[in-house]
Parts: sequence; structure tokens; C-alpha cells
Amino acid sequence: MLRLALADLWHERVLFLCSALGCAAVLAPLIVLFGLRQGVVAGLRAELLDDPRAREVVSVVNRTLEPALFDRLAADPRIAFLVPRTRALSATIVIENPAREGQGVRMELLPTAQGDPLLPGLVPGADGLVLSATAAERLGLRTGDAALASVARSRGGEREVLSLPLRVTDIAPPAAALRDSAFATVPVLLLVEDFLDGTAAADARPGSEAEARARPFAGFRLHAARLEDVPALDREFRLAGIEVASRAEAVAGLLRLDGNLALLFLAIAGAGGAGYLVSLGVGLWAQVERKRRDLALLSLLGLKRRALLALPLIQAAAVALAGAVMAFAIAASVATVLNRAFAGTVTGDRPVCLLTAGMGLAAAGVTLGGALLAAVLAGLRAAAVPPAEGLAEG
Amino acid sequence: MTALLSLRGLHKAYRGDAAPFALEVPEFDLAAGEALALAGPSGSGKSTLLMMLALASPPDTAEGFGFAGQDVLRLWREGRRDALAGLRAGKIGVVPQTGGLLPYLSVAGNIALTQRIAGRPDPARVLTLAEELGIGAQLGKRPAALSVGQRQRVAIARALAHRPALVLADEPTASVHPELADAVLALLKRECAEAGAALLVATHDPERAARAGYPVLACVTHAPGEDGVARSVFTRAPLAEAA
Repeated sequence: MLRLALADLWHERVLFLCSALGCAAVLAPLIVLFGLRQGVVAGLRAELLDDPRAREVVSVVNRTLEPALFDRLAADPRIAFLVPRTRALSATIVIENPAREGQGVRMELLPTAQGDPLLPGLVPGADGLVLSATAAERLGLRTGDAALASVARSRGGEREVLSLPLRVTDIAPPAAALRDSAFATVPVLLLVEDFLDGTAAADARPGSEAEARARPFAGFRLHAARLEDVPALDREFRLAGIEVASRAEAVAGLLRLDGNLALLFLAIAGAGGAGYLVSLGVGLWAQVERKRRDLALLSLLGLKRRALLALPLIQAAAVALAGAVMAFAIAASVATVLNRAFAGTVTGDRPVCLLTAGMGLAAAGVTLGGALLAAVLAGLRAAAVPPAEGLAEG
Repeated sequence: MTALLSLRGLHKAYRGDAAPFALEVPEFDLAAGEALALAGPSGSGKSTLLMMLALASPPDTAEGFGFAGQDVLRLWREGRRDALAGLRAGKIGVVPQTGGLLPYLSVAGNIALTQRIAGRPDPARVLTLAEELGIGAQLGKRPAALSVGQRQRVAIARALAHRPALVLADEPTASVHPELADAVLALLKRECAEAGAALLVATHDPERAARAGYPVLACVTHAPGEDGVARSVFTRAPLAEAA
């Protein structure tokens, strides 16, 4: 059966080649278009994802947020990382290199915890500190060095200083912080805040993590699990009256672009693909008419109906597969040219047209499905040819 | 023994060249291995009868239609086309009027076609048949490269390749020149006898068939009656039933 169908195709290989080329001619631009969509979206997405701050949502106004809210947020599957923060005004600290006394630098004190996307793999620990690259450079501190953190308050006209000897456990990656800043665990931030509020003595030391988490906080910093979750989280916080800052706009823009490009692709692929499938179906139908005598003869020789039905189906499948392979080859070379021409412009150093083997398989699968659908009518027609025509004089 | 083929009270209307025709077969039996020529003028319904015998078209009405132990009438009535196709594939060989070879298969492929459809591949038999029919040198060629007579012999080889019980030939000599016609008829008869297959040849030339050693069954034609339908009758005394 298969051999019969393929022998027929081989006999008329010029016609077969034309059909396959026709298929490739429609398919190749669609694959390129799809690759462009993938490349542009993947490029923009990767650019966003490269920046760990893209998934960040930070509350910007000081409120009193109860532990219950933090428990609820921690249980939300859309939130990958959550850390509470103290009031912005009490989150500054002076860090000093013990080797260069009197040259302390005032910087922002940021909370961190296990699994912080800004500090991948880095946790400062209870008496540790992660410095931003700029801060470490200005202070001349390196990983493992001792540092002195200090906060000053005036109480009854008298200046009091809280001094914490800490160790620099790591230097933060450049993307984590542009300005001078120091990352420390929540108990350190709480101690600073309590000291400034006057509820802690100058010789107090950071409490435990569990104690800290039982207290209300002024705000939080969280990272969404997926880029797509950022706009929804941003909207929900605003609706709940918690003012937040995030890249929701940029992410929503990317998602909108993704959706629009998908729609554009569907429209073009739908129009082009449907047109081609109709022409393939009509072509196969005409083929059945042309080969009516051969088909009748095969039926007369005892070929069963489903075998006759299979003839145009096999041939359509062969055309579709050959077409898909050609189309992918053409698309791949076009993509190479495009990627070279657009190198470093639209999507940075990423390919503007992204083709993968999976896409090739999907294209072949869709084409195959469509071709089989188009061939079914022809197949039914072939199966209905009465065997008696095989004997009759044509 | 029972007949390989047995028709009773069969009736089929068809359109002839001008007037409507009716084909009638009151009685017709063919024993296994028997050869017979069906003679009648052009348009007398020989081809129509062969088509019915080839299980390719159903009779309008019939009292009995047995072939190789199967009730063909019932298969038609129940619409079991695949069962009919299976019977065609396994038991019947057909030599169409003009070769009817598939242009995209080689001569060997065309001859082996019936074997493949019947699911009984036998390359040795393809070779033997081709040698006997004098087309051994053409096995690798396409039908388009053959002469008319060679094509006819390929069709004969194809009809015999799967060892059918019955071979039907519709005017196998119509498209070859007279000298070759005798040879084709003789070849058919010899090959069928060798393979033990029954043979039915439709011909408009009863003398030639008789000369080739075929018993001839001539059709009786009746001019249009009151209903304006011309009738064509093939009838043959039934075989003696086994006691």
C-alpha cells in the first residue's frame, strides 16, 4: 500500500516536487514569522529576566502591616520570595572599615533573607553583611573583612551610638544595587529601627529571626514567581491600598506585545495555511479524478476500501512532510541571514529570529494534520470509485 | 462435485449503445478448472456479465449466485464490500480489455500486484510466469516501454500470479493483431490449465475461440419487445449434481 502510493509519487516526481515546493512556499514565511515572534519576545523577556529587579514588587509607603498579612503573602504561590522591611527613614546606616577609622560611609540598609533573587546564593547570616559593589570599593572592603556598622541618635541632647561589629560575607552582584547599600538580615534592621525609636539600648544586639517575624512591619520587598504574575500582584496591592513600585508596566507591555504578535501570526498563518490546504485538497481531488481508472483497477483487483482511502492520504502526508522539511531548511537559512543583519539591534546579542527543533516538529505536525484533512475528501472519492470501471473500456 | 461458479435466474439492465438492454442468465454453471468462451456481438452484455462475475457490480435481481462456496448475493445484499474485495483479491484474476497496467510500477511490480493485494507474495512465480509468457526480459521496464502484445501478456501474468480459482478475460484479443490474437488465446488456455484455474473469455469472435480449443457459449439476442428493451440471454445446462 505504502509502496504503491510512493511508487506513484516517484513516477510523477516532478509533480510531487511541485506540490512539495508549493507547500514549502507557504510554510517557510510562516516559520520565519513565527521565529521572529519567538525571537523578539524571547529577547525582550530575557532582557527583563536578566534584571532580577523585573520580578520585584516593593511597597513604597510606610504602613503597619501585621504578621498575618506576611503569612498570607508567603503562602501565595505567585510569590517566590518575600522579606519585610523597616521604615525607610530608619533604614540607613554608617559602615566603616576598621582599618580606615573615621572614613565611614552612610548608606541604605536593605533587608534580605534566604533565597533572595537579588543575592543569588548569598545569605549574610545574623552578624554578616553583603555590600553592594560600589560600597565595597569605596570602603576598601573585601569578602571576609570585618566592618563596623553604626547608627547615632540624640537623646535628651546627648548623642548615643549603636555600634555593631559585622563581617562582610559577600559582595552583591552589580545588578542587585546601583547605589551604595548594605544587605543585612531582618533582625539587624529591626535593631536599628528600635534603637532610633528609643526602645533599644546602645549595647543591644540583634534578636532572633523568629522573634522578628512576629512583629508588624512598615513594608516589604517581594519577587514574583513568574514575570506574568507581576502585573496582577501590582494591581492587587494597589486595590488593597498598599502603594507599591514594580515593573508591572514593562511586563504588561511585553505580555501585550506577545499576545498581539501571536494574534498577528495566527491571522497570517490562518489565511495562508487555509488557502494552501484548500489548494492541496483540490489538487488531490483532481489527482483522484485523473487516476480514476487506476484506482478502479486496484479496486477490481481486490484492494479494500480503506486501502484505497489511504492512497491519497499517504501521498498528502508525503507532500506535507517533504514540504515541511524544505520549508524549515529555507526558514533556517533566512533566519541566519536575518540574525546576522539585525545582530545587536532589536534584541541585543540574542537572535532576532529564533528557530528550534521543537518548532520544526510542530510545523511538520500541523502541516501533516492539515494535509491529511485536505486529503480525506479525495480519499473518500477514491474509495467510492466503482471497481467495474476497471474492466470497462476507457 | 459442486460448481465453482453457479448463477440462477440472474437479471441485469444496462444501457447499450442505443437502446436499453437487459441481460438474462437463467442458468449458468462453471466447474473448477473449466475453460469457456462467452461469445456474442458487441454490446450483447458480455462485459456486463464479466463485471458481475468479477464481483465488481451487483445483479439487479437473481435467485442464486454462488462462487467458491460463498453466497455472493448475500454479500451484495449486506453491503459487505470488503468481503467482496477479499474474494476478488484471493480467488479471481482479471485480464482487462486493454492491459490495464499501472504506469508507475515496473512489469514485475505489476505482475506481483495481485500477489501483494492477496497477501501471497511469490517472486519465483512472477519469474516463471514471465518466462513462460516470453516477457522475462521486460521485468524491469515500465509498461509504457512495452508493445501492446507484451502488455497483454503482462496482464495475463498478473491475472495468474496469485493462483486464482477463476480467470476472467474481457476481449483479450481486441487490441492485438490477428496473429497475436490466436497466440494470446492459446497462452491463456494453457496457463490456466497449468494453474488449474477456471477460465472465462468474452469474445466477439467465436470461430477464433473454437479454433483455440475453447468450448463456446453463444448468447441469444432478442429484438426489443413491447417494452422496448432488447434482451440478451446466456444460458448453460447445469452441471450434474454430485450424488
